[in-house]
Amino acid sequence: MQNQLEYLQSKLQNEPDLKYVLIASNWQTDFLRFYHSQTNYNISKSSTSLGVTLYKGRKSYRFSVDDPQKDKLDQALGLALSVIDSLPEDPDFVDVENENSLAPKREIVNNIAAIPLESKTRILAELAEAAKPFDFEIFGTFICNYSEHHLVNSNGLNKKAAVSPIYLEVKAVHNQSQVTVMETFGGDDFSLFNLADFKARLLNKIGYCSAETLDIEPGHYEVILAPRCLAEFVQYLSFGMSARALDQHSSFFEGKIDQKLFPDFVSITDDPTDHEMIRQDYGAEGHIYKPLKLIEKGVFRAFTCNNYYAHKTGLPKNGNTASCLKVDTGDKTLEELIGGVKRGLYISSLHYMNFINPVDTSLTGLTRDGTFLIENGKISKVVMSLRFTERIDRILNNVAALENKAYTIPFSENYGSFDVETVKAPHAHILDFNISSSTHTI
Amino acid sequence: MEHIIKNTIAKLNTPEIEFADVRISFTDYEDITFMNGSLRNFSSDLGSPAIGIRVLIAGCWGFAGAKNLDENKIDILISQAISNAKHGGKFMQKPVQFPAMKPTVAEYIHQPKINPFTMNRDEKVGYLQNLAQAIAPQGKIVHSYVSGEFMRQERYYANTEGSYSHSVFYNTLPVMLVAAAEGSAVQTRTWPGHMSAGRGGFELFYEQQFEQNTQRIIKEATDLLSAPTITEEKADIIIGNGHLALQLHESVGHATEADRIFGMEISYAGKTFIKPDMLGSFQYGSPLVNIYSDSSDVRGLGYHPLDDEGVPGKKVEIIRNGILKDQQTSRHIAHMLGLEPSSNMKASFADDYPLVRMTNFCLAPNQGSLEELIASTEKGYLLDFTKTWSIDDNRNNFQFTTEIGYQIKDGRIVGIVKEPTYFGVTKDFWNACDAICGDEEWGFHGTFHCGKGEPGQSMQLSHGVAPARFRNINVSVKI
Repeated sequence: MQNQLEYLQSKLQNEPDLKYVLIASNWQTDFLRFYHSQTNYNISKSSTSLGVTLYKGRKSYRFSVDDPQKDKLDQALGLALSVIDSLPEDPDFVDVENENSLAPKREIVNNIAAIPLESKTRILAELAEAAKPFDFEIFGTFICNYSEHHLVNSNGLNKKAAVSPIYLEVKAVHNQSQVTVMETFGGDDFSLFNLADFKARLLNKIGYCSAETLDIEPGHYEVILAPRCLAEFVQYLSFGMSARALDQHSSFFEGKIDQKLFPDFVSITDDPTDHEMIRQDYGAEGHIYKPLKLIEKGVFRAFTCNNYYAHKTGLPKNGNTASCLKVDTGDKTLEELIGGVKRGLYISSLHYMNFINPVDTSLTGLTRDGTFLIENGKISKVVMSLRFTERIDRILNNVAALENKAYTIPFSENYGSFDVETVKAPHAHILDFNISSSTHTI
Repeated sequence: MEHIIKNTIAKLNTPEIEFADVRISFTDYEDITFMNGSLRNFSSDLGSPAIGIRVLIAGCWGFAGAKNLDENKIDILISQAISNAKHGGKFMQKPVQFPAMKPTVAEYIHQPKINPFTMNRDEKVGYLQNLAQAIAPQGKIVHSYVSGEFMRQERYYANTEGSYSHSVFYNTLPVMLVAAAEGSAVQTRTWPGHMSAGRGGFELFYEQQFEQNTQRIIKEATDLLSAPTITEEKADIIIGNGHLALQLHESVGHATEADRIFGMEISYAGKTFIKPDMLGSFQYGSPLVNIYSDSSDVRGLGYHPLDDEGVPGKKVEIIRNGILKDQQTSRHIAHMLGLEPSSNMKASFADDYPLVRMTNFCLAPNQGSLEELIASTEKGYLLDFTKTWSIDDNRNNFQFTTEIGYQIKDGRIVGIVKEPTYFGVTKDFWNACDAICGDEEWGFHGTFHCGKGEPGQSMQLSHGVAPARFRNINVSVKI
């Protein structure tokens, strides 16, 4: 792959009018999907590609070549050179990325090799065996990826990065009631995975499911959001923190830099350096990726902004992509959070959220994989999945307290090449959360 | 390519392999996007190769895929697929089984009216640029884009039963959007909605009348800024094709993918409320509701001569006169349910693992025009063009918001409402259907972006629909 990149770069040296960005990528996944406590399928996939963006003045043309042999590169480059002059200009383009600093070197373990299929099936068999006495079976995925990216551009950037995320998602489903609970592990360091702890957390959740199952009326509830839920709301909120969203007038944060929007204890950072998360070295255009305070004690501090939108909007460039979000912890234990709720809900996970209007952060979605009633400070019953219609800014303004511990939550990026990112968040006590419908009470 | 695929199949014809198939695809893709009147992206990925090898050993599937067709690489993939099946077999309870099928050999070569990859480039870019400039920021319009995604795919399939197919097709996804703003309020309108993809080439821009609708979406987006919202708790709603395709997709299409019955999608896309004993008796909708899957209809994105496990394309009645009759299945799942396989196993690219997927999933037409349907509605709303969609992991509790609602009084449209939102439960909703328009309103509406599976795949598929009316639907959602 290095040869193809150098080959193309040498060809482009004959085109002094052109600016360029070249990204060579190798991607592999080893993917075990299981259902009913057995294998559904095992997949190995790999791809090698070279992505090219050429600029001539303000005109640009992009192409990508999979399995990039020299003859294919010659053909694609020839086409690009014949096309670019005839294209209209983008008046907002100024230059390609010029931020040259390199991320500190770190060792990247290829987790595909480090966690062979035999280990995966052994772990899953142990979890399946643990769930069996409670009449639960396990469903889910156990994935390891490994990818390498090498970026060079006409401003002299020459940066390499690799990442090897792990994603383990185990859903335990009761054979009769179909009540479901979930436990996950995500990160790039498998030494942080503790099977005994993972199993204990899963069995603890299974324990909650022995209670009565009921449906509840729509209305406004006090809720405890599990870290996965808070993480997902923060991910959705971060869509509006991008300079791109600002430019497209679809941002909640337009005109709100340095404004106090949330309570003091709401702080959100984009932190690619946390070793308990999937780390990132560079943004998509090669800008070094550093921690960035997005919300500081309730005050909105910064948009994530790449090179293109920095030129277009005048915002400071930072190269962040909100791919490593962290929500600061609070000062309560989980027991204290739940104990503070007289009648409310514990929500484990969310499903199929979509914005109604991103500008006011209104959205709808459902609860999933473990919704429980809290009565007198204790989880008392299992609740059917519920629909909520809310505004994220309202949810964050209704945070009464945060847990004193944060959890790393993996999310699968399920389009294109399968990828994984992590968010770190604590449990949150929300004073008012709008359940807009339940399946049996509509 | 026929030689490579058949040579690979020959290597897989061994006693330990119960079944195997090999797929090869070559994909050309081009995307042209204008934003705020200027070209923002012109990108291509031409001749992208992919190969996928799937083997069944001792009742366990193993799969390996890559974007490289070198012979040495193919041999490595064979070894990986076999190894994956064998390792997976160590965590198995019930082996995968299905009956053998008679081999089928088929070919289909599609030609669009206007090939987007060979047409005059200046004409192509110029047409899109004119559209982009027509909807560029003006008045209260603050953002706009015009986009064309073009795909040509050549696919080869072979399996150890002797089936073989070769197909070529062209698909296009055209869309444009404007956003209007005033103060903190922003409203958007698209044309022709989010289900605008179809089988064909650049002619889709002309057939879908983009030029004729630029001023309409500018006016409607602007008018929506000051439009009221629905105030009633419940209302009769007519759903136009630009949104009904998605309603059908989410609440019937995905619900009748039978891999969900067996929990194969629990980890990502979810389950279904349907149970095997509902087949033949469950009143899914009113007697007007007839829904079918038809992968033999060449007009839709879901046409194929053979699916991705060798089942010939076919039409299957899913719901007849409101009663649930059949499911979308794989050979394995059909065998578990005692059904014939429905030809719904598809993978987006050859290096993707095939899944139960919608193909051409259609609501059959009934009678009458949209104009007649509106005229027969005393009070209600015509809702169209999807804005927000959400449905639970059992495909039961849904909520949709459309870009615009047209208020109907005494059989006439009298105004518009913004962000009309309705919600319901699948069975109750389809049983509230009391009218479906006829052939003259029926058409295919497709997408490039139906997500399912892990690793995720974006499937291209179509829905045939005609506008339909639903009585007494919940339309009140407040925060």
